[in-house]
Amino acid sequence: MQETAARESRRKRQFLPPQFVRAMLAGHSALGIAFAALIYIVCLTGTLTVFMHELKRWEQPDAPRIDGSLTSEAASKAVESAYRKALALNAAHDVFIMGPGDTQERLLVNFHDHDSGVEGHWLGDAAGNLVVEEHAPWAEFITNLHIRLHLPKTWGLFLVGLTGVALLSSLISGLLSHPRLFKDAFALRWGGSRLLQEADLHNRLGVWGLPFHVVVSTTGALLGLSTLIVGVLALAAYDGDSEKAFATILGPLPTADETAAPIPDIAAMIRSVRAEHSDAEFASVFIQHIGKAGQVVNLGMKTPGHLAMSNAYYFDGTGKPLGDGGLETGSIGQQILGALQPLHFGWFGGLLVKIVYGVLGLALTIVTHSGVTIWLARRRERGRPAPHWEKVWTALAWSQPLAFAAAALAIFAASEAAAVPAYLATTIGCMLASQAAPDTRTAGRVIRLLAGVAVLAVVAMHGHAWAGRITDPAALWVSGTMTLVAVVLLASALRPWLSRTAA
Amino acid sequence: MSLDALDSDVVLTTVGSLLMVAGVVMLRKRWLLRGQGGLALLIAGWVGILAAFIAQSRIWGAELGTTYALGALSLAAYAIISATFERRKSRERAPREAAVDPEERPTNWKRGTGKAMLAIVLAGIAAIGVGVAFAVQAPLPPQDRAVLGGLLVPILWGGGMAWTLCDPRLVRATIILLAVSALGYGIAFLPKALS
Repeated sequence: MQETAARESRRKRQFLPPQFVRAMLAGHSALGIAFAALIYIVCLTGTLTVFMHELKRWEQPDAPRIDGSLTSEAASKAVESAYRKALALNAAHDVFIMGPGDTQERLLVNFHDHDSGVEGHWLGDAAGNLVVEEHAPWAEFITNLHIRLHLPKTWGLFLVGLTGVALLSSLISGLLSHPRLFKDAFALRWGGSRLLQEADLHNRLGVWGLPFHVVVSTTGALLGLSTLIVGVLALAAYDGDSEKAFATILGPLPTADETAAPIPDIAAMIRSVRAEHSDAEFASVFIQHIGKAGQVVNLGMKTPGHLAMSNAYYFDGTGKPLGDGGLETGSIGQQILGALQPLHFGWFGGLLVKIVYGVLGLALTIVTHSGVTIWLARRRERGRPAPHWEKVWTALAWSQPLAFAAAALAIFAASEAAAVPAYLATTIGCMLASQAAPDTRTAGRVIRLLAGVAVLAVVAMHGHAWAGRITDPAALWVSGTMTLVAVVLLASALRPWLSRTAA
Repeated sequence: MSLDALDSDVVLTTVGSLLMVAGVVMLRKRWLLRGQGGLALLIAGWVGILAAFIAQSRIWGAELGTTYALGALSLAAYAIISATFERRKSRERAPREAAVDPEERPTNWKRGTGKAMLAIVLAGIAAIGVGVAFAVQAPLPPQDRAVLGGLLVPILWGGGMAWTLCDPRLVRATIILLAVSALGYGIAFLPKALS
C-alpha cells in the first residue's frame, strides 16, 4: 500500500520536474521584470483602446451618429463629398470611408496625400454629407500610446510588437512553471501572506483568461511586427519590394497611370456585391489614387456571422471586379487576416463584446502588475526587500490613470501638443516623488487620491465645455464610467484614513 | 409569456451561458473534493462547458460562437472565483501552499546581456527566418503561406524567448538558434539566389 502511494507520488512529481519548473520560473521572472513596465502600459492602454470609438464620441458629443448601416447612395455621396473636400485641400490621393456598424455608429471620412502630407478627418451624416471635422485628441493620445508608445511609427510599432512577443513568451513560461495548475484551479486566498495572495490572483486571472491573453498577445505582436516580417519576406521573394509583398496579402495596388478619370461609382459596386450576397451591408471603402485612371477600390461589405469587420471586394476605377479578399469565407490565411484586428481590439459583436474585452484586458493588466508584486514580495519574504523598487512599481502602476487624466486636462487647458509632455511629466514625477513617501502603501494611496481628483476634474471640465450641447448618449456613459473609476480610486485611497478616524 | 414567444436566439444564448456557468460550478465542486472522488462532477462539468460551446455555435455560427463561448468561460470562472474567495488573517501558510521558488542562478552583466541578446535578438532572427521560409516555400496559396508564416513568427519567437531564458547553458542555446536561423534563411533565400 505504501509502495503504491510512493509510486503514485513519484509519478505526480515527474509530470513537471521541480528543476524544470524552477528554471522556467527563473526565466519567467527575468522576462517579466525586463518588460513589466512596457507590458503594463500596453495592456492598460489596450483596454482603453477597445473603447476608442466611444472615447471619440465623448470628445465630440454633438457630432452626428447613424442608426443602422449606410445606404449605397449615401456611401456614394460620402465618396463624392470627400473627394471634393480633398481636392480643395490638395489632398486628393487616397480616400477611406467607414460606415456605422457593430464597432461604431458614425460615418468616418478620411483622406490624405503622401506627397503634400495633407490629411483630413471628417464625420458625416446619414445622407453622406460631411458635417464636422473629427477632433478627438485624447482618444488619439491613448490609441497612439497603445499602438506605438508615441515613438516614430516604425520603431514604436516594432517595440509594441516585441512587447507582445514578450507577453506571449511570459504566458508560455508562466504556464510551464505552474505545477499546481489544476490543484489550485479555483483557489483565491485573500489576506494573510502577501506573496500567496498575489500569486493566487496572478495565476487565477492568468490561467482562466488564457485564451484571451494568448489571442491579444499573438495578434498584437503580429500587427506590430508586420512591417519587419514583410520587409524580410520582400527581400526573400519580391526583390526587396515591400509594397509588392503587402499587395500579395492585402490585395491589388493602384497602377501608376495618373491620367484624370471619373471617381468610381460606389453605389453600383455595392449593388453588384449585393446581387451575390443579399445580406451584405456596406462597411467601408478605400480608394487609392482617387480620380486617376490607375485607381483601385477596396470595398468592405459585411455579412453576419463572421469575425472580420468586412470582406474586401476589389474593383478598378471603371467598376470592373478584380476579385475579393476572402476575409469572411475564404481560405484559412484569408480568414485569419480578416480576424486579426477585430480579435485584437474586440471590434466585433457590439458593445457587449467590448465590455467583455474591457474586463479581460483589465485582468491581463492585473496579471502583469501582480507578477512584479510577487517578485518584490518574494524578495521581502527572503529578507532582501527592495523598498525603492517597490515604490517605483507602485508609482508607475497607479500613476497611469493620473497621467491619462493629466493628458486630458492638458488638452482642455492648452493644446493637443501638451498631452504627451503632461503624461510623461506625471508618470516620471510620480516615480520620483514616491521615493519621498514613508512607505509603498502611502505612495500608492496618495497617487490614487490624486488620480481620483484628476479624473473627476476631467469629467467636470468636459461637462462644463459641452453643457447643453451633448446629443450623443455615449458621452454620458463615458463620463459616468469615469466618475465611477474616480470614486473607486478615491475610496481605495481614503478607506484606511477614514477607518482610522471612525475608530 | 410562453417560450415560443421569446426570440429563439435569446433563449439559446441564455441556455448556453447557463450551461457554461453550471459547468464551471461543477468543476469547482469536484475541485473542492481534492481528488477524493467526484468523477461524475468532472465529466458533467466538461459536458456542460462543451454543450455551452455547441449552443453558442448553433446560434452565432462556429466562428463567433466559439469566440463568445471562450469569453464566457473566462468570465464565468472569474465570477465564481471572486464569489467564493477565502479571506485569511493569518500569515502562516500550510506546507503544501508553499510557492515554488525560481532557480537561483549566479549572474552578472555579461551573462545577462548574453541572455538578452539570445532571447530578444537571436530568437527573433531565427523565428523570422522560419516564418519567412514558410511564407516563401510552403505548398499553399501565396496569401495563406504569407499570413501563416507571419503568424508563426511571434509564436516561435515567444517560445524561443521562454526556452532561452530558462536554459542555463548559453552555448547550447546559441548553437541551436544559429542552426535554426541558417536553416530558415537558407530555405527562404537560397532557391532565389541559385536560380
